[in-house]
Amino acid sequence: MGYSGCSRSHRMFRKILIANRGEIAVRIIRACREMGIASVAVYSEADRRALHVRLADQAVPIGPSPAPQSYLSIKRLLEAARETGAQAIHPGYGFLAENAEFARRVEQAGLAFIGPPPAAIEAMGDKAQARERMLASGVPVVPGYQGPDEDVVLMREASRIGLPLLIKPAAGGGGKGMRVVNSPDDLGEALTSSRREAQHAFGDQRLILERYIPRARHIEFQILADAHGTTLHLFERECSVQRRHQKVIEETPSPFLDPELREQMGAAAVAAARAVGYQNAGTIEFIVDPEQRNFYFLEMNTRLQVEHPVTEMVTGLDLVKWQIRIACGEALPYTQADLSQQGHAIEARLYAEDPANNFLPATGPLLSFVEPVGPGVRVDSGFTSGDEVTVHYDPLLAKIIAWAEDRPSAIQKMLFALRETVLLGVTHNGAFLQDLLSSPDFQQGSLYTTWVEEVFEDWQPPQCALPAEVLAAAALTHFQNGTPTSSISSTNPGPDPYSPWQVANGFRLGE
Amino acid sequence: MHYRFQHREQIYQVAVNRQGEGYQVMVDGQSHQVEILDSQPGKLSLRLNGKPVTLYWAGQAGDKWISLDGCTYRLEKPSPRRARSSGEPSDGEAVRSPMPAQVRAVEVGEGEAVEKGQTLLLLEAMKMEIRIKAPTSGRLRRLLVTAGQSVDKDELLAEIGE
Repeated sequence: MGYSGCSRSHRMFRKILIANRGEIAVRIIRACREMGIASVAVYSEADRRALHVRLADQAVPIGPSPAPQSYLSIKRLLEAARETGAQAIHPGYGFLAENAEFARRVEQAGLAFIGPPPAAIEAMGDKAQARERMLASGVPVVPGYQGPDEDVVLMREASRIGLPLLIKPAAGGGGKGMRVVNSPDDLGEALTSSRREAQHAFGDQRLILERYIPRARHIEFQILADAHGTTLHLFERECSVQRRHQKVIEETPSPFLDPELREQMGAAAVAAARAVGYQNAGTIEFIVDPEQRNFYFLEMNTRLQVEHPVTEMVTGLDLVKWQIRIACGEALPYTQADLSQQGHAIEARLYAEDPANNFLPATGPLLSFVEPVGPGVRVDSGFTSGDEVTVHYDPLLAKIIAWAEDRPSAIQKMLFALRETVLLGVTHNGAFLQDLLSSPDFQQGSLYTTWVEEVFEDWQPPQCALPAEVLAAAALTHFQNGTPTSSISSTNPGPDPYSPWQVANGFRLGE
Repeated sequence: MHYRFQHREQIYQVAVNRQGEGYQVMVDGQSHQVEILDSQPGKLSLRLNGKPVTLYWAGQAGDKWISLDGCTYRLEKPSPRRARSSGEPSDGEAVRSPMPAQVRAVEVGEGEAVEKGQTLLLLEAMKMEIRIKAPTSGRLRRLLVTAGQSVDKDELLAEIGE
């Protein structure tokens, strides 16, 4: 055990390095502060003044802005840990969180990796291997094929499995390189382009095949497992609202599950985690056939998930704190029967992107960000007003989480929270999220993984008529600035009398 | 004091005059009684015709963002439509990068015929693959980038002509 004596003494870490950035780094730093643990942030050049750097007890520069030279540099991260005397490293999600080599090197350096054992990351990281392990453990997997993957073999297996068919990179995740094939004529080209994308994204071009289940739901189970043999599930998260395999809105409980199916899936999730000797927090993703109500193992995410807050809201457990405690050798004091779901929680992901223009990522200065507040509203964000959204990293700005006693009230609360959110300067998907939540399909819970793409493909923002209040306010902010009795303290010398912006009389210049 | 704002295609006229403790604000010819309840950097609470409202704002005169009740409005300085810059071809179609990105792949070569909607280039930015498609059918007259290269927002990538 590479836990530097921690599991034997149960003495809590005194200092943790967070090998991440953005909202998840902030989330972990806050957990450390609560627990009285010193936090070490790392940052690239682009993040010199980022929120996670400002909040941490120490901050160490680890390289230039491109992630491969900073947040993905195992060497720099280990050096930063050694320089600062950190005893453990929390990888967050993304970057190196599911890199077994990183986990191993952390342990070899005599530090604790706040995550699963490297062997569990490896076993689940390879989709082909994971499928075989699950089959051997009696966990249902989607009918498909994993094995030697020459094109001729895949062609033969494809006709055995039947159409529609899903091609996936064996090393993959996040939807990269995945292709749905509806016609035998498209198979050859789909294999070629999937391989190319897999090679580019993962450096590994092996592919697996699965039967494609149309209108499937994506329902995942949170796992928490300690080093003493306790493996629990913390119920499900419904993540069917996604776009190109990127989740947009998540909620728990799922509007689809009944207690019986929930229990079956929970038991399968625990069996899946046990099959790879899992420890710490992880997530078993299932796809669910809405007609047959069958569920199939999709993959395991061997890390904390972006959407972990909804689980925290309904179970009352703090997943990040438990990750730290488990890494330190503490035992979970609960049995499955102790856990229950209280109320309903929804998370909406606020992205810097333009939903009306092919969801292109947006960048720029965040001129103003006012987070919504109110009972049952939580915001996990990595930005504040004045920060810059750069091209280098993920466009996730903030996660808005709403908790209420039931699903309709939670939807209502989320809509309220989104209306109260002020985010100026960078184009974002706030209005799009409101339209998703307001749609009859969402309200009825009739969701499937291609729903967003099918129903909202040509989405355009609602044309808010320009209210008189907005124009009055715009004029008053100028007027105040240029008036000696202004209540806004400003170094602005006042309106420029020659500016065409201000016209001394009422006639219109042109159109 | 008179102000002019452009929102989308429309230009609006606003006049502000002090009136007692508050202001009389004329918006496109309609008069409103306005009292400032609270004014902080980036936040303004008004009583407009007796109704309280709070707005958030940011930006400068030329480009102002205002948020009210979950809607964001972008007010710009009124200006005639931007004229085409002189370096651009008048009879061809310019293909530009929508954002700073890296060119991952070039799918067509200079001189090749392209169809409207056909993928010309693959860019990558913020972990996302962006397909740059032909805005029109024609011939790829110029190709200005190669795979691996970084491009800025609005940088000319290619030109399609007859």
